[in-house]
Amino acid sequence: MPPEPVVTAMGVISAIGQGKAAFTKALLEGEPAFGVMQRPGRQWESAYIGAEIREIMFPPEIARQTLRAASLSAQAALVVMEEAWMEARLSDVDPRRIGLIVGGSNIQQRELMQIHETYRHSSAFLRPTYALSFMDSDVCGFCTAQFGIRGLAYTVGGASASGQLAIVQAAQAVITNQVDVCIALGALMDLSHWECRGLRAIGAMGSDRFRDEPTLACRPFDRDHDGFIFGESCGAVVIESLESSRSRGLEPYAALRGWGIAMDGNRNPDPSLEGETEAIQKALGAAGWRPEQIDYVNPHGTGSIVGDETELKALQACGMTSAFLNATKSLIGHGLSSAGAVEVIATLLQMRARRLHPTSNLENPIDPTFKWVKNEPIDHAIRNALTLSMGFGGINTALCWERHH
Amino acid sequence: MTAIELLDLIARHTREILPGLDAHQFVASDRLVDLGANSVDRAEIAMLVQESLGLSVPRVELFGPRNVGELADLFLQKLDAA
Repeated sequence: MPPEPVVTAMGVISAIGQGKAAFTKALLEGEPAFGVMQRPGRQWESAYIGAEIREIMFPPEIARQTLRAASLSAQAALVVMEEAWMEARLSDVDPRRIGLIVGGSNIQQRELMQIHETYRHSSAFLRPTYALSFMDSDVCGFCTAQFGIRGLAYTVGGASASGQLAIVQAAQAVITNQVDVCIALGALMDLSHWECRGLRAIGAMGSDRFRDEPTLACRPFDRDHDGFIFGESCGAVVIESLESSRSRGLEPYAALRGWGIAMDGNRNPDPSLEGETEAIQKALGAAGWRPEQIDYVNPHGTGSIVGDETELKALQACGMTSAFLNATKSLIGHGLSSAGAVEVIATLLQMRARRLHPTSNLENPIDPTFKWVKNEPIDHAIRNALTLSMGFGGINTALCWERHH
Repeated sequence: MTAIELLDLIARHTREILPGLDAHQFVASDRLVDLGANSVDRAEIAMLVQESLGLSVPRVELFGPRNVGELADLFLQKLDAA
């Protein structure tokens, strides 16, 4: 039998906190961090709302020389990798048996735009390192160099499902014995004002309704939702077999019991009830679970009017109406490429805390019959969790997690 | 611009790329490779100097200098010729 993948360590950064302790505390306190975005290159004749990381604290193990050259996406990757690496004691593992899958594509748009603007009239002086930095796989380069990873490292892209896809790919690398340990990274998507403009123009990003009240703008599943609100985040999830984790005396957070990936056969950003239902049913089938065995769902829940509605219909169609439900994006915003991984981290941290985080701004749920965690946290020991992601281009992913015991 | 000023400029940009050299006293005989600059770092340093001088030097000519003093001399010649 192939080994069953478990999660032994995690690292996370978001606008509400860096590191698992600070992140968990902020999640459970339900303190969001939205405002008009300030990072250079985020606004142009605009006032887009989002949740930005204020300051990254770097551990001394990461050299200044490395940080100087690293993009924001690479810097975030390095700090979450360091956190996960220490927790999983990966220095005790043969580096040839460690892999890294980076989830996300076209993640460094803001910094690329800034370079183009800087050298628009002086192209002869373009920095030679642009040849490295314009590729997303530069994040693999930074991380494998910093940690001495020798097994495998590459990127996978699936729009807002990239983080979950990275976890699936990492699990497969462990199951097929390509490596003993594989780190899945949900990379920080660094939007420029151009991507914000496009995401607004296509009707995906909010908020017209709350343009003057940034703290009210991000409201997944609430009747007043009007689109997703962006949030910077990045997360690393360490996946290995139970046997491998035991050899280093680690206590896993959870086991990945099954997953499902389904395509809508549709390039559009619109969600699909069929596609989402298919992904959930595939995941349940792989886990061998009945829908009522799931007691917590971490939904994609972006705040998109049609997306939120479709997702609840899919959960209903799969008979999953008795599970608790909250929306992590209501607190940290939508990280796009990182979302799937960071929300798995939020799920496993809630599992360990035996407590569910509140959903910010969920005043009037579009469907009140679900078991919502609204403005107060709830004590609940998650046993079996389902986490969902959907991405543009019609990709749907679902993961089944069982608490380790 | 004097040779000393040019050496200072090279030193400033080298420290920018290699922050560990903050306290290093640069001399003409310093070799970038011995100071820990890999080929990408050296290309970055050379480009930053060119940008500061507003001077574009063909890449092939930058392979000649064996230390920062000779690199400074090359840039001085190019400035004089410009």
